[in-house]
Formats: sequence, C-alpha cells, structure tokens
Amino acid sequence: MDGSVRLEEVVMRFGDFTAIDKTSLEIGSGEFFSFLGPSGCGKTTLLNMIGGFLTPSEGRVSIGGEPMAGVSVNRRPTAMIFQNLALFPLMTVFENIEFGLEVRGVDRRTRRATAERLLSLVALEGVGSRRVTELSGGQKQRVAIARALAVEPRVLLLDEPLSALDLKLRQHMRSELKAIQRKTGITFIYITHDQGEALTMSDRVAVMSAGRLQQVADPMTLYRQPATGFVAAFVGENNRIEARVIDRLGERVRLDAGTLGELEGRVGEEASLGGGAEVALYVRPEQLRPVAAGTSGDASMGGSTLVAEVESVSFEGAWLMVQARLPGSGEALRVQLGSEVSRSFADALVPGEAITLGYDPAETVVLPRDDGPRVDEATGEVVEAADV
Amino acid sequence: MFRHLAARFGGPLSAAILALLGIWLILMVTLPQLQMIDYSLRPNLLPDQRGGPEDGWTLANYATLFANDIHRAIFFKTLWSSVLVTLLTLAVSYPLAWYLAKVATPRQAALCILLLIIPFWINEIMRTYSWFIILAFRGPLNELLLMLGLIDRPIRFLSGDGGVMVGMVYAYILFMVFPLYNAIESLDDNQVRAARDLGAGTLRTHRRIVIPHAKPGIATGCIMTFMLAAGSYAVPALLGSPGSRWFTQIIYNWFFEGGNWNQGAAYAFLLLVLCIGFMSLVMKVFKVGLGDIAK
Repeated sequence: MDGSVRLEEVVMRFGDFTAIDKTSLEIGSGEFFSFLGPSGCGKTTLLNMIGGFLTPSEGRVSIGGEPMAGVSVNRRPTAMIFQNLALFPLMTVFENIEFGLEVRGVDRRTRRATAERLLSLVALEGVGSRRVTELSGGQKQRVAIARALAVEPRVLLLDEPLSALDLKLRQHMRSELKAIQRKTGITFIYITHDQGEALTMSDRVAVMSAGRLQQVADPMTLYRQPATGFVAAFVGENNRIEARVIDRLGERVRLDAGTLGELEGRVGEEASLGGGAEVALYVRPEQLRPVAAGTSGDASMGGSTLVAEVESVSFEGAWLMVQARLPGSGEALRVQLGSEVSRSFADALVPGEAITLGYDPAETVVLPRDDGPRVDEATGEVVEAADV
Repeated sequence: MFRHLAARFGGPLSAAILALLGIWLILMVTLPQLQMIDYSLRPNLLPDQRGGPEDGWTLANYATLFANDIHRAIFFKTLWSSVLVTLLTLAVSYPLAWYLAKVATPRQAALCILLLIIPFWINEIMRTYSWFIILAFRGPLNELLLMLGLIDRPIRFLSGDGGVMVGMVYAYILFMVFPLYNAIESLDDNQVRAARDLGAGTLRTHRRIVIPHAKPGIATGCIMTFMLAAGSYAVPALLGSPGSRWFTQIIYNWFFEGGNWNQGAAYAFLLLVLCIGFMSLVMKVFKVGLGDIAK
C-alpha cells in the first residue's frame, strides 16, 4: 500500500451548511501537496476527512488504494501535525515521540533508538529527556514532526503547523519541512492560508474557496495560468481590468476595454470565449513596463498600452511600487518597477502625473467575467470566490 | 498578603476582613477543637469529681478503641467501606464527567447537570429514605427484578453494606463529578485527537492522556468523597443494618447515649486522624499538592 490519496465526489455537510461540495482529487504517493485558501474555505475539513476525524456525508476517501470508510482514526496510515501541535505536556520529548510506538507494542529499546534517530532527523539531538513545556516554539515544532513520523505514516497531514512561529523561523522551517519530505518520501498534505508557504514547498497546490477546489496545479502554473478569477486574485497580486472580447486568434484575444481603448490578452486554449464575451483581463504588477508616452505601444510587446494617473510611489529597495488609477473606470492599478527604470524616471513619478504602461499580452490571462471575488475591505484580502 | 488586600480594598476594610477570618478560625474552629482534645485526654468524671485527684490527662480514652474488638472492627470497616464508596463513586462519575465535558453538546451538558442537581434540592434524609423504599425487601427494585425474571426471590439489599454503599455513592456523586468535570473540561481536544491519531485506542487514550491530566480533579473528588463517606451519619443510620454500623454511629452513641463526651471526643479524633492520613496518602499517590486541589 502506497501513500496515494484519492477523494471521490466527497461532500461534507454540517446541518444545512455545505462545507465541502462534491470534490474529487488524486494525490500521488510521495507528493508534497498543499491546500491553499482563506479561512473557512473547507481545507481543514478536507484534511480531517483524510485523517478520519470526520466522516464525509457523501463520497469516498481511499489511501493507497484502500477505501477508508469505517476505518477509525487510530487505524489509518496517516499522522497529523496539529495547528497547536498538541504535544503531550505531561510527557518528556522521548515519551511524546515514543507514544505511537508504545501503542504498537514496540519494545523499549527499539522505541528509544527510533526516537533518537528521529530527533537527529529534525536536528534536535540531546533534548529527549526534557519536558516538552521547556522547549522553544521551533523545538516544539520539530518534536511534533518527529512524533508524527515515528508511527511511519504513509501520509502526513499538516494543519497550518507553522502559523504559531515568527516570520524568520517560519521561513526556515519551510525549507526544513521540504527537506524532511524529500528524505522520507512520505506524502505530505499541507494546509495553509499562506500562499508563500504553499508555493515554495509544494509539488502541487489546490486552491480552495467556499468548499470547492478552484484549481489544482503546480505552483508556477497556478501563478502564470490561473484558471479562475479567484485564483488570479488570491495567488500573488493581480490587476483586474473588465473588458469585452472583440475577436480571437488562437490564444490571443483583442479586447474592448471601454474608455481604456483596445487591449490584448491571452486566453487558455480550452476557454470558449468568443466575440462579445464579457471578460476580465489580469495583468500582474511586475508585468507592466513604462513605455514612452504617445506611442501606441512597443511593437515587440504586442501593442497594448494603458495610461494611468500616479497616486503614490513607495520605494521597497529591490523595486518601486506605484499605486495608480485608471482614468474612466477609476480602477486601481498596481505597478511594480524593477531596477531597469532609471533614477531620473523614478524621480519623475510624482502623484498626479500620468504614466504610460505597456505589457506583453502573452503574460496575461483573460478569464470569463464573474462578479469578481469578494475582497475584505479592511485587509484587502480575498475572502471568497464569486459563484462562477 | 495584607498589603495586597489593602491595595485593593483599603486599610480599614482589609483589617476587618482579616479580623473576621481570624475570629472565625480561632473562635469557631481552633478553640473548640482544642477543647475537644482536652476532653478526649481526660477521664469521664461526674461534675463534682472534676478538678479532683482523679482528674488528669490520660490516653485511656484512645486505648479503649484498641481494647474493644467490635469498635476496632467497625473503625477499620468504616475505613475500608469509605475507600470502596470512593472508588465506586469514581467509577460512576468518571464516564459521566467525560460525557459532560467532551462528548455532550453544551445543551445536553446543561440539561444533564440540571438533572444531576435537582435531586440535591431535596434534603439528604428524604433522599436517603427514598433509597430505603427502593431497596426494601418488598420494594420496587425487587419487584422489577422479579418481574423481569432476573431473580426468583427478593434480595435483602439492606441487610449488609450494599444499601449503605448505594446510598452513599448517590449522596456524594456531585462532589466527585464536578471536580472531574472541571479537570477534564480543561483538556485540549487536540490532545485526545493526537493520541487517537497516533494509534491509541479508547482505553489507552484515557489512561495515558485524560487521566494524567485530570489527576488533580480525581484527587480532589476522592478526598471529598472519602471525607464525606467516613464522616457520614445519616446514610448508615437509615440504610444500614445492625450488622453494618459506621464509626460515626459509635461516636454519636458515646456523646448522646453514653453521655461520655471524653470517650466520644477521643473516637472523633481518631476518625479525624484517619481522614487526614487518607488525604495525605491520596495526595502522595497522585503526586498532587494542596495548591492543585485548591484550584
């Protein structure tokens, strides 16, 4: 039995509330797979169903090809790392790690040897006889990993395990988790609302919203070819411009963006967007480049230009972040300018000035227009996908 | 300590609080107890003999217990039966407390606690008498068992210690359930989930995770139940048979029927020593301090 996980048309309802809507998914053995989504999107529910803490209202969960219906938590080949770690505070580090082995009737000496080996795997030698309450946050984190690995799970479930750590430690633990996963070859299923974690560690990421999978893809595809408006807005930053399709040639579409004039963009091959379709064009801040005013755009860039009014400029070291506003539609536009812009150009960017920007249509994404994802007014974070 | 109080309530009020506490502790607790110790160490004399040549401190009253086989047997039976009552109450209360703290929804738990408390609005004598009725030779429990065909003749529940046990478990269950409930309730659910996730079954999860966590609550409940059971008078008086006398009944008899306060005081102190001894033992076994229990 391998560490693959398969969800078939899984539904989870709590009373009238549908937490997970008909979801099917396959996770390969040895894969580092992440569920990414805002809080309340159902990702923890999915994890709990795989771990056996919840029984799906409908559908099937199987691990390594074996159906898990009726298999209780303590008999599943999974181990969970809890958000609050849930280390046993009355036990020592050794006792924590050995707990799962003790349950399995492994003798004392073998248990201790395994615990020592795991402690060295997580770079924590020598703390075995300490109480877990005496450890620092990062050390507790490692003990939790060691404790879960001790039972040799085929699938390790991680429920936002890094969220309690400070930024620096979190970034360090990312690479460490990835290294442990590579070393052990265990399937990691990772839950997070932090796209940085999901993108840096995962082989594949499932973006979730409102109980549904929005897109399942490798991190780069997710970033470059988002499949839905939610993914486009949730993963990385994106500028959204509403338009209507004029005509289409292969992947390339010409768009009528109202007062912004004619723009070009790229659609996925499978998208069935014909002339007249209402769409949204997504251009990332770093894809916008300043071009000389008055030109109808650099021919090499495909000819699309936008003129915006600068609202504010912030210098972030490696780049300049320009906050601008499009005339007419009044929509905000964020532009990230790299080191290629000259000092004099940067100095000329003062609020109220017009800036002309071009982009390569091949780097953009055109998606059917939905009502747009719901954005939290206070934080500016995407909360929930619009119904497509 | 006074400074803390003074900072919060002001000098005069704090002084008043401490004075009240002191008066209570000294006048109502310490002095009467000292008086009783004095009684217990003197022979029982007629009023005109007091202060006479026969009056003086002696351990004779304490020695009585060890010379009297019947009293000694009842003393140790009271100890043993109280331990048994405590264990039975624990066995009944633990699943109940677990259910209330971790399984039931808040509504169910509230309803359950209400149902547990309502009987305690009735006084102890009445409640105990109702057990007397239930357990009677021709009572409803025997009728029911006969009807179900589980027994072919009525059982004399009240002739041995059985009736006393049942009555006491019932009378003191709340003193066990609430400390347990408080202790279990404070356990993080993820602890239980983690234990299950690592492969532990129900029994092991309780033995290794829940019970160690609930230890202070278990100790508190056991101590309270034991103290109440060992010091109980009404339940053994009502539900006991002549063959199942409780040590408290002997003490009562010395005081109010024998009129020998000196002997009664000595017996009462022996019971107190027994209780304190048991409490220390439980605290040692469970490795809890007074601070844990006061929580």
